[in-house]
Amino acid sequence: MEKKIGAYICTGCGIGDALDVAALTKVATGEYKVPVCREHAFLCSEEGRALIRADVENEGVNALVIAACSPRVMVDAFDFGADKAVERVNLREQVVWSHPAGDEDTQMMAEDYLRMSLTKAKDMEPPVPFEGENLSKRILVVGGGLTGLTAAREAAAAGYEVVLVEKSDQLGGYARNVVKLPPMAPPYEEPQVFDLEGLIGEVTGSDKITVYTGSRIEKISGAPCMFDVSIQQNGSQAAERVGAIVLATGAVPYDASKLEHLGFGKHPDVITADQLEAMFKAGEVKRPSNGQPVNGVAFILCAGSRDPEHLPYCSAACCVESLKQAKYFKDANPETPVYIFYKDLRAHGNYEFLYKQLQKDGVFFVRGTVTGVDDDGAGALAVSAEDVLTRSPILSESVDLVVLATGMVSTASLGKPYKAQQPKEGEEELEVPADTILASNLLNLEYRQGPEIPALKYGFPDSHFICFPYESRRTGIYPAGTVRAPMDYSRAMDDAAGAALKAIQCVEMTAQGKAVHPRAGDLSYPEFFMQRCTQCKRCTEECPFGAINEDEKANPLPNPTRCRRCGVCMGACPERIISFKNYSVGIIGNMIKNIEVPEEDEEKPRILVLACENDAYPALDMVGIRRAQYNPWVRVIPVRCLGSMNLVWIADALSKGIDGILLLGCKHGDDYQCHFIKGSELANIRMSKIKETLDRLVLESDRVRFEQLSITDYGKLPEILDGFASDLEDLGPNPYKDF
Amino acid sequence: MEPKYVSAEMRDYIVSMGAETVNWCMQCGLCTNLCPWRLVPGETSEKFNIRHMQRLGQMGMEGFEDETVLFACSTCGMCQTNCPRGVKIIDNVRGMRASIVGAGMAPANLRPILGSAHANGNPWSGPREKRTAWQEGLDVPAFGPDTEYFLFVCCHSCYDPRSTKAARSIVKLLQAAGVSFGVIGQEESCCGESMRKLGDEELFQKLAQSNIELFNNKGVKKIITTSPHCLWTFTNEYPELGGEWEVIHYTELLNRLVEEGKLSLNAAQGKKVAFHDPCYLGRHSGIYDAPRALLEKAAQDGTVELSRNREASLCCAGGGGRIWAEVPMGERFGELRVTDALEQGAQVLATACPYCMNMLIDACNSLDKQEELEVVELSEILAASL
Ligand code: SF4
Ligand code: SF4
Ligand code: SF4
Ligand code: SF4
Repeated sequence: MEKKIGAYICTGCGIGDALDVAALTKVATGEYKVPVCREHAFLCSEEGRALIRADVENEGVNALVIAACSPRVMVDAFDFGADKAVERVNLREQVVWSHPAGDEDTQMMAEDYLRMSLTKAKDMEPPVPFEGENLSKRILVVGGGLTGLTAAREAAAAGYEVVLVEKSDQLGGYARNVVKLPPMAPPYEEPQVFDLEGLIGEVTGSDKITVYTGSRIEKISGAPCMFDVSIQQNGSQAAERVGAIVLATGAVPYDASKLEHLGFGKHPDVITADQLEAMFKAGEVKRPSNGQPVNGVAFILCAGSRDPEHLPYCSAACCVESLKQAKYFKDANPETPVYIFYKDLRAHGNYEFLYKQLQKDGVFFVRGTVTGVDDDGAGALAVSAEDVLTRSPILSESVDLVVLATGMVSTASLGKPYKAQQPKEGEEELEVPADTILASNLLNLEYRQGPEIPALKYGFPDSHFICFPYESRRTGIYPAGTVRAPMDYSRAMDDAAGAALKAIQCVEMTAQGKAVHPRAGDLSYPEFFMQRCTQCKRCTEECPFGAINEDEKANPLPNPTRCRRCGVCMGACPERIISFKNYSVGIIGNMIKNIEVPEEDEEKPRILVLACENDAYPALDMVGIRRAQYNPWVRVIPVRCLGSMNLVWIADALSKGIDGILLLGCKHGDDYQCHFIKGSELANIRMSKIKETLDRLVLESDRVRFEQLSITDYGKLPEILDGFASDLEDLGPNPYKDF
Repeated sequence: MEPKYVSAEMRDYIVSMGAETVNWCMQCGLCTNLCPWRLVPGETSEKFNIRHMQRLGQMGMEGFEDETVLFACSTCGMCQTNCPRGVKIIDNVRGMRASIVGAGMAPANLRPILGSAHANGNPWSGPREKRTAWQEGLDVPAFGPDTEYFLFVCCHSCYDPRSTKAARSIVKLLQAAGVSFGVIGQEESCCGESMRKLGDEELFQKLAQSNIELFNNKGVKKIITTSPHCLWTFTNEYPELGGEWEVIHYTELLNRLVEEGKLSLNAAQGKKVAFHDPCYLGRHSGIYDAPRALLEKAAQDGTVELSRNREASLCCAGGGGRIWAEVPMGERFGELRVTDALEQGAQVLATACPYCMNMLIDACNSLDKQEELEVVELSEILAASL
């Protein structure tokens, strides 16, 4: 379809007062020969939108350039249908609200932004959603313990078909072994009975849930809404097609044989918390050494947890679990001496009441490091510790049983690191550190990057627990419960419900060709112009989400429904053959080329700012909203992720005479804040390549700067922008200016 | 370092002696930080840490019996009213003291005091027959079958020459208001509040029993106390021993009489007056408004509030048996109180407790501020305003 551009300039919100709108109109109609260009004093109003709608209907306008407020606001107001390309010129926040009114440089800035957007509108197309084949909205739940059962029940209750795969012959997982759960209802003072059989009954009785017990996942291929799952059940095979996956394989207790310093393996009466729970379940709580009743017990918390020699992390549930087990003893006989040795008692929320109750029950709580679990000489055990609260070493009275509250080890962490393909002889070493993928034999994904979900610290397959608690780094696969992070029963059940909802969101969005997360609803996706692919593997290796597989000739095989639309592949591709309909190396490159660069003697430098859409760009808007000012030399282009930056843009900008380039991205490294995990880090790695470009052009490397910025840092932006401008002034103008 | 031994037996013994909530303590340390001992320097301040002391108690571990630690607490209640766990800290202090004192190991300096209370029914070594000496020159009615109120005068105000002024003032005020009241006299015994706080449970029981029998035999129904300590123990500790009466502190009664128009006060006090809330009147009994209302009436030139007032009032250090403690100058809470008053520009520091009077006068003298600040019992100001 012939493209017809309409440009609309809003003069409201102070724009008309600050700018020469007639001159802007002339840029559109004169320089860019836009057939339709109108101004309106209140463009987002019903009347303003009617003006645009009339042009769409009567004039055949199908590409809209809205020169008004930030693209982050009024999104719905300027939506005229998915088939219309919309490009927004941010005259309000980033021009008139952050620069002096009626100023020549402010006007030049506005005109440049209009030029850039008109260029983009000319180059871009409205996205066409990806349509997969044979789409499934069923949800696979891997693991039939408390979390998996809950996820299955919740998904089924919401109307979705579920396939539940459990490795043992019975459903229930660890919860089968459990007598009671910690209190979940007022007054939170007594362990609580939990109806596991009822939950299992709901799942097995549901006609929406197919249950495979005694089974494991042999392999999973495909992508969201098109996952093909092979299930091994007692020697026989089954195949299921599903849309999304909840990983709920749980955790196992830390191997107590490594805890000899706490007496395990040395004294038969030193046992683990799960062994004690099993004793209570069997109704036979006896000393393993002699079968005699237990007339005194000591619990040692953080057994292996929060210990750099063992599990460095907190296992989250063991404090409360031990309180619960202590309560079993006190309920059976209030006179039984019970000791709890702890580092910090983390009885969060209402569990505080249980803790308080046990204090009232006379449990000895000892805060400090256990220094020994020893025979008392009479066949029982005594625990010595450095008690922080009395600042002295102490010795307990004799007890018959010592219980180690061993920590939680995610089942996802039980496996050897998967070796991504090693560089062959002569090939470049991978610059980007590979993700940690542990071959834990849970999902067996047929993904080029490895068979499981990438792990964060300590082997937990979490992605970004603060911003996106349910996300993994594989679209459509949602870890829940203790496989994802240490947590207790009630949190695991909440987690299960959350993951089920994420899985539902995934299948619904994917079925409409929309991105799930974090660019939820985005219809664009990367397309590969394969004729020119050199099989360099950059895209497959750098995609943070493992969206791209590879054929045997190393051709990339993209999976759009796994893709998060970050554009990292586009930034990585040296052949520039990866593009989105509305975002490509060419589109952005042309925007850069349409920035007017004044001659050197005009002394009006130009700075290109590539700003991450997620944090830096909104922060720039915040600067305007607060009416803070910065220099008018900058020209900002929002990028999906700094990782989508292609080096050719830098070369384009510098050879055009632009004086400096500022990259604004999110924090990278261990505490990364990048929405696309590795994008910002990759941009940083590419910075080293930028140096080569600069050397080739014989330019100073200080002309390109990378700043890490989070959205809350907006207050620092004027200083960053003006500081860079003044540093560039010291360097002098880009010598390519007058070419 | 040799390990200390945890002892459930010792812990349970302490609990049985009254430290019933010692196990509830979660060792947050708020109590230690709120304790007035943090406001002064010196050995006791360095050694006494109420959180730590309770920790030893809950572990049944030795170390708390050190006299500097065990008898430091003035039972002011600052910690207890703020404890996030609702620990009855003062009961714990009492229970821990009782576990030592009850075993016959009372500190040497307290023995004569406890002994006097045993022998004479008062801790001030005053002979029984001198208990009514303070009445000289007054016509104090004897309590009889038709008397409405029994006026119980604190031992301190019976025997301490300075303190008798308060008792005498109260009598004048009650008479002016036409209250039907009377005293019993020599047979009365110390209320025992401080004896119990010192851990002498047996002595307390003895004193309380003797009082309860006496009061009940005499047909007492309502009691006016001159001291907030007697008020507190009669109200909170006597009922379960069989002493159930309507107990009122003189400030509350007088305030009621003023409100009812039965007592009129003419502002006579021409100096700026500040009121020091006694712990046992304020934090322990919740009485803050009555003394202030009375003072308002009597103080011609108005009153000033101390910066630490009402619930946040700072202890004089006289409770919990500390009135008998020897404390070096510079470490006395009362000195801080005198400074508080001077900071607010007060010329008179009034209070409504004989122990507070005792401690504040000492502090004022030790700071050599008696020319600038006069310490008086509220009843004295009121009596002068009749
Ligand atoms: S790098 Fe980003 S845009 Fe490219 S395939 Fe991967 S997820 Fe999609
Ligand atoms: S955080 Fe990073 S990766 Fe994320 S969007 Fe920003 S620059 Fe990109
Ligand atoms: S404030 Fe209460 S809970 Fe905290 S340490 Fe003191 S007594 Fe214990
Ligand atoms: S009652 Fe007062 S003196 Fe005693 S520990 Fe508490 S705050 Fe300190």
